[in-house]
Amino acid sequence: MENREIKNLDILGQACPACLLVALREINENRDRLKKGDIEIVIRTDHRDATRTIPDSAKAMGYAVDIKRIGTYYEIKIGKRK
Amino acid sequence: MKHPQKNKKPSIAELQKENLELKEANSRYVRHIRDKVNQLLQVMGTLPLNPEELDDSTLLDFDPIGIVAVAFDQVLDHLRETNRELVIARDELQAIFDATGVGISIINTDFKIIKCNEKQRELLVDSDISDIEGRYCYDVYCGKESPGLDCPAIDTMATGRSVIIREVEKKGKHFQIVTTPFKDGEGNIVGVIEVLLDITEKKRAEDAEKMQRGFYLAEKSKLATVIESLSDGLFVTDKEGKIVSFNNAASRITGYSAAEVAGLPCNKFFSMLSGSMPVIEMNKNTELNIQTRDDRQLILSITSALVKNSEGENIGKVFTFRDITEEKQRQEVYHRTEKLVALGQLSAGIAHELNTPLGSILGYARLLMKNKKLDPVQKERLEIIAEQAKRSSEIIKGLLNFARQSNPSLRNMKNASINNILTDVLRLLQTEIEKYGIDVMTNFGEIPAIKVDVRQIEQAMLNIMLNAIQAVKNNGEIRIKTFAENNSIKIEFSDNGQGIPEDVKPRIFDPFFTTKPVGEGTGLGLSISAGIISEHGGSIDVESTEGNGATFTITLPVNNSEV
Repeated sequence: MENREIKNLDILGQACPACLLVALREINENRDRLKKGDIEIVIRTDHRDATRTIPDSAKAMGYAVDIKRIGTYYEIKIGKRK
Repeated sequence: MKHPQKNKKPSIAELQKENLELKEANSRYVRHIRDKVNQLLQVMGTLPLNPEELDDSTLLDFDPIGIVAVAFDQVLDHLRETNRELVIARDELQAIFDATGVGISIINTDFKIIKCNEKQRELLVDSDISDIEGRYCYDVYCGKESPGLDCPAIDTMATGRSVIIREVEKKGKHFQIVTTPFKDGEGNIVGVIEVLLDITEKKRAEDAEKMQRGFYLAEKSKLATVIESLSDGLFVTDKEGKIVSFNNAASRITGYSAAEVAGLPCNKFFSMLSGSMPVIEMNKNTELNIQTRDDRQLILSITSALVKNSEGENIGKVFTFRDITEEKQRQEVYHRTEKLVALGQLSAGIAHELNTPLGSILGYARLLMKNKKLDPVQKERLEIIAEQAKRSSEIIKGLLNFARQSNPSLRNMKNASINNILTDVLRLLQTEIEKYGIDVMTNFGEIPAIKVDVRQIEQAMLNIMLNAIQAVKNNGEIRIKTFAENNSIKIEFSDNGQGIPEDVKPRIFDPFFTTKPVGEGTGLGLSISAGIISEHGGSIDVESTEGNGATFTITLPVNNSEV
């Protein structure tokens, strides 16, 4: 896990396009590497709804999700389930 | 949708109308796409898209259905994976369920069996019953028509708590049963999980052990009774030499209680008894002088042996001992008596042989003294001859007395009061007592008359009194006390004279032993007394510390039937 790549997806201040679809697209594109645990996607968003929709979907797809509030925004970490 | 006719150019109005219709249709399609995307997102369990966030053209450019489709693919992938894991987990659980060494069954609240494992079948289900799920547990497991009052499942259903039954017999086997509540997702009790542990073997082993323990306990108590009832003292030490067992007789002999010596190293115990650790050879009698806890001086005969366990290892020693003090004293008396008898015979012979010549010497000396022609010096010398001959004659008389008291045939036994004999003796000694100004105090107790040779006993007491008078000399004190004790009579003569030195004490009863200057004592007085008392089945003990007077104690048996 030490060599895991961290992919940052910054959608701060972006109202449009919908955060969820952006996040899903990112997850879709990296699905194989995510499953293997080679990559971890870190999404930064200040969109409150996104803190519900993104983790719900990622969990349904079987990923581990961790949400942290950092100051004015949220950081959602998506990675391989342990 | 209408298409413009080929042969006729459409008017602006027509085109505008058509454009409007197309836009509306387009908007309907986009709305349809948006609705479908939202529907799909809802299926995924997330919120619908917000139209303010995403305008129509961006929505179409974004390919939302494509994204959602791939996301779905991932969700399905995950579900398939999860399903596979669940199947494996279920199979593993079933295998564990069946392979475990305890019987497990799940029963619903109607006491119907929902599930049971192989072990449970093996333990409690009759082989001809194949289909047990759905049947009543009390029927299949207990062979009853309704749940028993002692059924732990009833308790668990009622209280929601686990119940353990340590031992129960079912179908000839012994079990331990634990019931725990089986709850649904909401926490409602929907049944009971019953875990059954077969303890038949364990119980059998326990019973066997209990029986063996009972046997050993009985043996142990038997042995303890034997040890406690022994007349010999016995104690056992462990490997480290510490006392672990100490019987009644050991307490009686040494004066120490078992509690006092428990755990004490045996060499320390021996030091307490005799001042040092004696060399005690295995399986050999060793004589040991001891002082008991209550200051009695005893002689013990002691022997030891190794104690071994069933593997033959040494686990301690056992010491047994016997009080041989009286035996030794009797032996000493016997030896002394033998010596006296020999001396008596010798003395009688000599006395008899000497009496005649001595009589002649005295007779002729007296005859010569009557001769008036003698000068005073010659007369004085003759007087010395006569006096010394007379003195020799006295010694001979003593010897004859000594010889006589060792001759049982000359004894004259009759019932007499010791107090009266003592009064007579004191009367005889009156002059002597007054001469030295001695204070004689008597304390005569109530004592029974006993069978004695009065003349001899008188002689014995006279000798002891004379000895005391000589010991105290001027203005001394002599106390005489008589009392009965343990089927015997005791006569104590205590004086406040100079006492008897330690080195002299063992020899005072020996014939011809005297501390007086040569010519003043024959050394026969105490020896004769001891002989007389011994002949009467009694004993004389002397206690004295130098400078603090002496006490002679005569003990005479009341039932002296041997005499």
